[in-house]
Amino acid sequence: MMAWVFGSLLFWAAAWALNVRLSRLSAPWVRFFVPALFGMTVIIVWEGMVRGFGVNPVLLPAPSAIAATFVGEIPTLWGDLVQTFFKGALSGYVIGCTAGVLTAIAVDRSPFLQRGLLPVGNFVAALPIVGMAPILVMWFGFGWQSKAAVVVVMVFFPMLVNAVEGLRASETMQRDLMHTYAATPGQGLRKLRLPAAMPFIFNGLKICTTLALIGAIVAEFFGSPIKGMGFRISTEVGRLALDMVWAEIVVAAIVGSAFYGAVALAERVITFWHPSQRG
Amino acid sequence: MKTIYGAVLAGAMAMGASVAQAADDVTLQLKWVTQAQFGGYYVALDKGFYEEEGLNVTIKPGGPDVAPAQVIAGGGADVVLDWMPSALASREKGLDLVNIAQPFKSSGMMLTCRKDSGIATPADFKGKTLGVWFGGNEYPFLSWMNKLGYSTDGGEDGVTVLKQGFNVDPILNGQADCVSTMTYNEYWQIIDAGLTPDELVVFKYEDQGVATLEDGIYVIGSNLEDPAFADKMVRFVRASMKGWKWAEENPDDAAMIVLDNDATGAQTEKHQTRMMREIAKLTAGSNGALDVADYERTVQSLLSGGSDPVITKAPEGAWSHAITDKALN
Amino acid sequence: MKSVLAILTVVVALVGFWYAACVPMNIHEAAMQAQRAGEEVTPAEAPERRHMGRISLALKNTGLWSTVFSQERPQLPAPHQVAQEFWKTTWGMIERGRAFSKRSLILHGWITLSATLLGFAFGTALGIVLAVSIVHSRAMDMSVMPWIIASQTVPILAIAPMIVVVLAALSVDDIVAKGVISMYLSFFPVVVGMVKGLRSPDAMQMDQMKTWNATRAETLWKLRLPSSTPYLFASLKVGVAASLIGAVVAELSLSSNGGLGARLLAGSYYGQTVQIWSALFAAAALAAVLVWAIGVAQKVTLKRMGFAQ
Repeated sequence: MMAWVFGSLLFWAAAWALNVRLSRLSAPWVRFFVPALFGMTVIIVWEGMVRGFGVNPVLLPAPSAIAATFVGEIPTLWGDLVQTFFKGALSGYVIGCTAGVLTAIAVDRSPFLQRGLLPVGNFVAALPIVGMAPILVMWFGFGWQSKAAVVVVMVFFPMLVNAVEGLRASETMQRDLMHTYAATPGQGLRKLRLPAAMPFIFNGLKICTTLALIGAIVAEFFGSPIKGMGFRISTEVGRLALDMVWAEIVVAAIVGSAFYGAVALAERVITFWHPSQRG
Repeated sequence: MKTIYGAVLAGAMAMGASVAQAADDVTLQLKWVTQAQFGGYYVALDKGFYEEEGLNVTIKPGGPDVAPAQVIAGGGADVVLDWMPSALASREKGLDLVNIAQPFKSSGMMLTCRKDSGIATPADFKGKTLGVWFGGNEYPFLSWMNKLGYSTDGGEDGVTVLKQGFNVDPILNGQADCVSTMTYNEYWQIIDAGLTPDELVVFKYEDQGVATLEDGIYVIGSNLEDPAFADKMVRFVRASMKGWKWAEENPDDAAMIVLDNDATGAQTEKHQTRMMREIAKLTAGSNGALDVADYERTVQSLLSGGSDPVITKAPEGAWSHAITDKALN
Repeated sequence: MKSVLAILTVVVALVGFWYAACVPMNIHEAAMQAQRAGEEVTPAEAPERRHMGRISLALKNTGLWSTVFSQERPQLPAPHQVAQEFWKTTWGMIERGRAFSKRSLILHGWITLSATLLGFAFGTALGIVLAVSIVHSRAMDMSVMPWIIASQTVPILAIAPMIVVVLAALSVDDIVAKGVISMYLSFFPVVVGMVKGLRSPDAMQMDQMKTWNATRAETLWKLRLPSSTPYLFASLKVGVAASLIGAVVAELSLSSNGGLGARLLAGSYYGQTVQIWSALFAAAALAAVLVWAIGVAQKVTLKRMGFAQ
């Protein structure tokens, strides 16, 4: 059994040596290969430790068991994903981010309101979301609406801060130029200040992608119909089916990263002009 | 002088430590947070019954994300409390849980419904929304729904199931037509919240013939082969049952003992006293030994789950009278 | 000072909105109680009211509006109810000499605070170590950095119970288990900020170190670390708030020893909404105090180090 442990540690040493070598190269494929190899190493060492030390699967399942469950339970995992991500997280994300941007535009004309809103919003953002979740489930019911509400609460304030910052980002020279064109405030907003705010808005959108998924999963811990990722995780822990729990976590990680990647891609397209996108 | 004081202090501490080491350590993992449902154990701790048996018992409260079976599998406890359906399901998953005592004779589980939802008998459940906890407590409910022939996926011919949170809000604000309650806890929370008994319709699992055995004492079977451990368990069960019988006779004092041991400070005297009295009704009739007929009934109920039974075959070696035979005679 | 008036205006507006929201939120319960007391309610029977909207029910029963602000188990507690509960469990306890009784928010706040600070210390240490190694080793940078970012997509609430069980099996103290979960949440901002900070000295400054024949260790201690201090403090502020959330989340699985998370859970369990809200405010107040404390440390340190303002 110890062969597993030694074998995996050996693999780790070899993979690390390879990574050190590869990191000196600058070929584009290296950027993907090195982290992928590192990830593979972690999984192999994990498998080796679990098998070598005979860890109880009720405490920590081996990656092979998790993979088997993942493949076997795809219908359930997909159903949970639809319930949590598409119905709960995505709808809350859209509503919350839109509300954040609209609020920023609304208070844009009043520095007075901005000075008041930001510190208060800081305090509100410090309320631990896990405490809000049972309250929101109590108010909005067990369906996806309460999960969306939790996401809205989590996402609204970071979006607001970034959007306000973004609307301030246009330079004085540029605003003066619009003034010389006799632009109305509305035109100034649409043609200068909103486009200039896009880098900040996308910064906020990226931060909010992870918050959205986590918020939806957390909300499901406090009451849900019998499907959804949070529901599955909490009940399968109770049933000692930890391989299912880890399979759900894998799905969450994949979807969360894909969501972030999609927003980053949109950012590339829309803010192509910004220094950070020019490499 | 300083050195003398230091020496005396060190000596006293060493003596104290050695006395403490003379007693055997036992860690008990409860099924839920500190409340009168576990009154017998807190009484045994407070009144010194464990100390008399030479045991140094640490009681670990549970909670929403604590699965006692997982805790004992990880070595975080020597002995746990669990409900039989959940223990048998864990056993089928490969965890060698063995019942060594059964203080709770009757089941306290019920389904409480609002009269204004139009439910009067189980036949009216069709198309309604029912709440149930998970984390091991859903098995009796799922067995019952299977017996009634209702699918749990919702729709006109089935029932819509909600995963209840930790409180009774779904029935209070009408989100669910029925919620799962225990006779000693959630039912009274509903009454406290203002609903009156005339506004409610109650279905007790005992009356519906789907009751399963609840709080029992479980250990890992292979540990029982160690005579020192088995002896520790004999003393533990004896002292615990003494605590339970004391609690049955002195429910109000037992409730106060539970309150003193509640670290969160969230329990109230009224709620705990009422809970203790109700629990006393459930422990009455048991001296701690598992009644095999009750065990068989539970197993049958779980096996008859139709397309999705809780367990797929009758368990073997899931209980043992070895400890209670020695403890109670 | 200009901000104070602005903040007050916003706060007053929010509190006003809160009071107004209490009416539709609590109206169903108020109607139920009024019906039991035999008073006039429109519509009179519970089954008819069950599916009515909150606002229409409120508009039909204006006589009940005064009763929504003092319910025992409100859907939305009024601000003064939350304030009273908060006062009772903090100053009220101190006055009675029972500041550390189990019902006092001060005790629970202290329990959460100790776990937060422990996790924060772990997370900061881990973050700095990771950042230093990432900056000095290309292999670490390319292999570990993407995974650190990916690690934050894993929902912590899902992992918390498992970490707690595994650590309990290894006979680790509860507070350390909470600290590990806090560390998970707080190390990420520190890593990201410190990596940026350690790379912030510009080419001129790095070249100057080279002309002085500085080793990599000397460059680290004398140039990179001092330059990264502003970034470090910005990350510490985010990290301490994240650490607090981690401690509260951990307490939901480890509620046996008290703490603000345990209070939240107990309040939610018994439907004591006022308790939930006052515990929430206590947590937010604690976070605000911690961030403010780091802000003060930041001001003092940066001033002494000679950074602008």
